[in-house]
Amino acid sequence: MARRSVLIGGSVGVGLLVAGCTAGGPSSPAPTTPAPPDPLLAELTDERRLIAAYDATVARHPALRARLTAVRDEHAAHAAALVTALGPAAPPSPTTPAASASPTVSLSTGVESSGSGSRVPATPAAAVAALRAAERAAASARGTVALTAPPDRARLLAGISASEASHVAVLT
Amino acid sequence: MTTPAPTPTGTGTPTATPSPTPSGTGQVQALQTGLAAEHAVIWGYGVVGAHAGDALLPQVRDADDAHRTLRDDTVALVTRYGGTPVATEPEYALPFPVTDQASALRLAVHLEEGVAAAWRYAVAATDDIAVRRAALVALSDAAVRATRWRLALHTTPATVAFPGG
Repeated sequence: MARRSVLIGGSVGVGLLVAGCTAGGPSSPAPTTPAPPDPLLAELTDERRLIAAYDATVARHPALRARLTAVRDEHAAHAAALVTALGPAAPPSPTTPAASASPTVSLSTGVESSGSGSRVPATPAAAVAALRAAERAAASARGTVALTAPPDRARLLAGISASEASHVAVLT
Repeated sequence: MTTPAPTPTGTGTPTATPSPTPSGTGQVQALQTGLAAEHAVIWGYGVVGAHAGDALLPQVRDADDAHRTLRDDTVALVTRYGGTPVATEPEYALPFPVTDQASALRLAVHLEEGVAAAWRYAVAATDDIAVRRAALVALSDAAVRATRWRLALHTTPATVAFPGG
């Protein structure tokens, strides 16, 4: 819930992928079992949204850059690891998230035009609180998928989940 | 962050079944890996506490208590899954000399990183959901504590992308 509120919607194509993902998830009966989407896709999309949320937050509150950059870069590492794990199934990166704190989004107008729902709270404290909530939700989501994933993926997702739990500690 | 007791609830509650592997495989090995690491960490926090200084002692005690609780819970889980819990060693080797507050804090980081690695291994070593959940919680809590110790040390960054290596 709170997670979505801080995410910018810059990656429309990826967002559509996730919607498809959710609709075809475990809740659907799927009598003919059409190859289900890889569960890592949703996690990758969420990592990219987190990166975008950090970029948007730094764009809106430049004073937070020093505090947020390392965390943002760790999400880029998470996304890269998920891309590797997905292999050919990985969708192309929307804006090469690993490539620096992208000066292209340093204008708040650029961020706002990039999609709907990109709302960074007006005060730095509220913006950090929103990221904190997003990290909590992310840690929980990654952990849940890890419970039933194959061993290698479980190990990867567990590491990401724990990293995100520790992000909460530096955002307090 | 709280540490829920890693009791195997839900599907395949081991107490309800005599079989040591009611709903998966690898539980005992996974838990024993975590347990052996918890023994080492508890020993190590004794050294940390001796050099951390009064101001940090409450934090050291909290960490130590959390690990003792986790050790006890893990011992109970190993037993329930039909294993014999590994015992603590009488002594462990320190990775570097601990002589003052800074080296004590560095040891605390080292301990939490080590136990995180053990629990991260444990996650992948079993397909039992209850044990995986317990290992995940232990891994996350270790990562959070490592981060808090890095903050106390003013280490930057205080977080890592993949706790437990």
